[in-house]
Amino acid sequence: MKLTESQIQDLYAFTRQHFVEHYDLQTELVDHLANDIEKQWQVQPKLTFEDAKNKAFKKFGIFGFMDAIEQKGKAMNKRYMRYMWTELKKWFELPQIITTIALFLLFYIAFSTVYIAPLALFFFGIITVWCTYKGIQLNKQFRRRKEVSNKKWMLEELIFKQAGSTMFVFMSQLFNVYKIPDNYGDNTYFLVLFSLAFTIIALVNYISLEVIPSKAEKLLNETYPEFSL
Amino acid sequence: MSNSKLYKGSLNTIILKLLNEHDKMYGYEITQKVKALTKGELKITEGALYPALHKLEAEGLLDVEVAKVDNRLRKYYKLTETGTKETVNKLEELAEYIKTMQALVNPKLV
Repeated sequence: MKLTESQIQDLYAFTRQHFVEHYDLQTELVDHLANDIEKQWQVQPKLTFEDAKNKAFKKFGIFGFMDAIEQKGKAMNKRYMRYMWTELKKWFELPQIITTIALFLLFYIAFSTVYIAPLALFFFGIITVWCTYKGIQLNKQFRRRKEVSNKKWMLEELIFKQAGSTMFVFMSQLFNVYKIPDNYGDNTYFLVLFSLAFTIIALVNYISLEVIPSKAEKLLNETYPEFSL
Repeated sequence: MSNSKLYKGSLNTIILKLLNEHDKMYGYEITQKVKALTKGELKITEGALYPALHKLEAEGLLDVEVAKVDNRLRKYYKLTETGTKETVNKLEELAEYIKTMQALVNPKLV
């Protein structure tokens, strides 16, 4: 005996009730439960769908789908970081490295002056405003995508909603930037590191808020063969 | 794994080995295959299988494929090139482990 379409939909709802929000993991678990239920029916054809479903779910142990959700989250984060790293590396290869060097020099020259503290705050402000603007825009875009498909993909959520998280790490350093004494500009090592930090932060934010979202369709298709099904 | 914690450390190796012998497999199929091969002695629990599969996928050892079967979507796993190489390493590690354990528990056999 095979499961009907409405029973499959019931299983999707069941996974959602058990805190599986993302369609990719839901699909995998639905197929698993469905296989288990059909197998039970081979031995006990009279077993109700509800009973068979609960029996199948029990096999996941007391934590239910929790471990699967957690591990899937970690796996997706790892994948996202890999994309991030691949894109970042490109900025240290030709031709993009020219932009990277120019950016670094801009920060370096600016911070070599006595205005290091106000300038650091100024750049900090520009980056923060841009990131906030982009973050809001991506969030809107994500909501629109949801209206169209009604499915939530873990990687899609990472790309559109958590992209700005690097910005918050950056923001938390505001206090330190504000505290920079004017004579710090005389220390070359400090200047190089400080300018490099700004360059990397600018690049990381640009990649996570602009480059990766613009490649979202490609990355999602690559990660989820079922995305375009 | 329900019946023994001793098997726990070998779950990844078991998955890789099975995928090495079969072109592609889906989660439920893996649990059933292990059950059949070990005559019910070893049962991979669902709660352990999927986390392990997702971890191996994130490490680039497994690749996924999705197909519509009956009225639902099925996710298949298969080994990547790195996965195939890693299977050999893992199996060697496991053989070494079995040998060491044997030397410890049953020194006369070695």
